Amino acid sequence: MIKVLFFGPIAAAIGEREMKVAHQPGLTLGGLHSTLATQHPEAMCLATMMAVNGEHVRDISLALMDNSEVAFMAKFSGG
Amino acid sequence: MKDAVRIQTEDFSQDEEIAALKGSSKRMGGIGTFLGCARDFSEGRDVEEISFDAYGSMALSEMKKLRSDAIEKYSLLDARIVHRIGTVKGGDNIVFIAAGAEHRVAALEACRWMIDELKQRVPIWKKEITPQGDSWVTPHP
Repeated sequence: MIKVLFFGPIAAAIGEREMKVAHQPGLTLGGLHSTLATQHPEAMCLATMMAVNGEHVRDISLALMDNSEVAFMAKFSGG
Repeated sequence: MKDAVRIQTEDFSQDEEIAALKGSSKRMGGIGTFLGCARDFSEGRDVEEISFDAYGSMALSEMKKLRSDAIEKYSLLDARIVHRIGTVKGGDNIVFIAAGAEHRVAALEACRWMIDELKQRVPIWKKEITPQGDSWVTPHP
């Protein structure tokens, strides 16, 4: 399973902070984004940044390993 | 002694943070600090409270990397970063950054660099709570 995390405005738009997605061989970060975007288009259009296992990732072709933790994140506004 | 990089709900003491920074080296000739505070007015609206959300583990990890990067980039003797989460009111402290170096230029430039980088790299989001409703903040340049 892949654990997908949401925070701030994206969590508010989806109404959840976490969901589990079944892992499939060859699943990429971009593929997961696309799947979620069809289910939650208003939330996922805010997702301008991504992280896998707590590290920033910009390459949407990254293949996701089983048990990965993925976060789709809106632009940060801390400080 | 408190960790040099922290995320916490409670307020912090600038005096304690600066004392901890100074205590790390007697070669320190300059300390630059930045204090970010909650405003009670934004985008033409009164703001009653600001609520913070964070990807806690990643935010702390990124803040630690940020401190290490700043120490290396500006040859700092030490640096500290503290960010509050939870809910704060107008005038409350939000974030404190301190950079200590042998000379003032490095300390001041590093401090400015750290707050700018924090806003780009650290997964924290703020929501303004106003009489007209709540809204997530769009980052300012």
